[in-house]
Amino acid sequence: MPSTLSAVIKAMSLAAAVAACVAVSAAEPAHPDFTGLWTGHREAGQGRASGFGGPQAGLPLTEEGKQRIADYNKLLGPERANPAAYCVDYGVPTVMELPGGYPIEFIQKPEQLTIIYEVENETRRIYIGDRQLPTQKRLPSRDGYSEGHWEGDTLVVKTTDLLDGQDQGGHPHSDKATVVERFSLTKDDKGTKLISYEASITDPVYYTAPVKIARKYEPLADGFIIPYRCPDEFWYSLLELRRDQVKEGKPGNARMSDVYKAREALE
Amino acid sequence: MSTIAVSTILRRLIVAVAAPALVLWGTLASAHHSAAQFDFGQRITVEGTVKEFNVTNPHTEAIVTVKDAKGTRDWRFEGHSASHFYRAGYTRDMVNAGDKIAILIAPRKDGGDGGFIQAFTVNGKTVGFGNLSPESGKPLDSATTSNATGSGAPKN
Repeated sequence: MPSTLSAVIKAMSLAAAVAACVAVSAAEPAHPDFTGLWTGHREAGQGRASGFGGPQAGLPLTEEGKQRIADYNKLLGPERANPAAYCVDYGVPTVMELPGGYPIEFIQKPEQLTIIYEVENETRRIYIGDRQLPTQKRLPSRDGYSEGHWEGDTLVVKTTDLLDGQDQGGHPHSDKATVVERFSLTKDDKGTKLISYEASITDPVYYTAPVKIARKYEPLADGFIIPYRCPDEFWYSLLELRRDQVKEGKPGNARMSDVYKAREALE
Repeated sequence: MSTIAVSTILRRLIVAVAAPALVLWGTLASAHHSAAQFDFGQRITVEGTVKEFNVTNPHTEAIVTVKDAKGTRDWRFEGHSASHFYRAGYTRDMVNAGDKIAILIAPRKDGGDGGFIQAFTVNGKTVGFGNLSPESGKPLDSATTSNATGSGAPKN
């Protein structure tokens, strides 16, 4: 008797589990999975794309956009300073151009696509579906707030709440910019799986028309992201000041203002 | 404009000698340069003895003691990021203070001591980098064949 009951329960559980699976697969059509490590894909005859350097030629700039770029260029100095050389995230959309040629990681779940670039471990979180942060809680950042939805096999991502990106290499933009990206899977002529990436930047301050970006990513052959530690000069300077204090038998309580003061004393 | 300040070296100097280190503090803001100051159309080889070799992000920096007709002095070199170094074949502790090193560099445009590391040979091992501008990401000339994360050693 107990064994029969147990068998019945098992059979019922199995049936329920199968039913649940069927229900899930019916409700959730399979979407492309972008999970994996990727690097820039170059097609024959195509130059290497980069987010470095000045704004790309032929941008449909407004007068305001031209002026802001000219003003920003005055800040670069003879060494042509760029934010990445100061351990600052590239920001959207420049990061998606893989400046410097580093790999990028995609981790996909039904409700979130996470994108991590090797440099600075710059991380984007794209929220897919109904669960979204209320608009008034979206803290502006260099990568903005990204909301995604599926249009067939294409993930369409709208990014807003960006900080001013006048220092972004190829595609400077204002904090009024909206970036719409389209991710889909494709193949090259050898049958290798690729991600097709398109972006359209709309910015009433910088551009008179949407600016388009197109890239393809291919699987990363050697398959590892290398940890990217970018030193923060001021943090380590502060630690050195405190080490000196401790060595002298004092409490290690120097503040960042002491770091600044030491620098100012020399100027 | 001062020469390239080296953060890790700077920190060691602060610990070792407080007063001279303070003189260097003024250069903190210019510690990480882009590569606009180097002439990537040229290649020269510099030989010397390693004093510091810091494989770091966003750029690697090295100090090498060089003896030439002008005398003996320390040259500062800049190079690609740590990620690029490791992908190009660099391994931990490959280069140590006191090692003899030959470095192929893109020299400074102003003719000063230093340059951007294109390849180096130490203890019989060579590491070479792709021929892409670290600033523009674009090919610089046809002197080398490789991509940004490749390991092709320069031909010259």
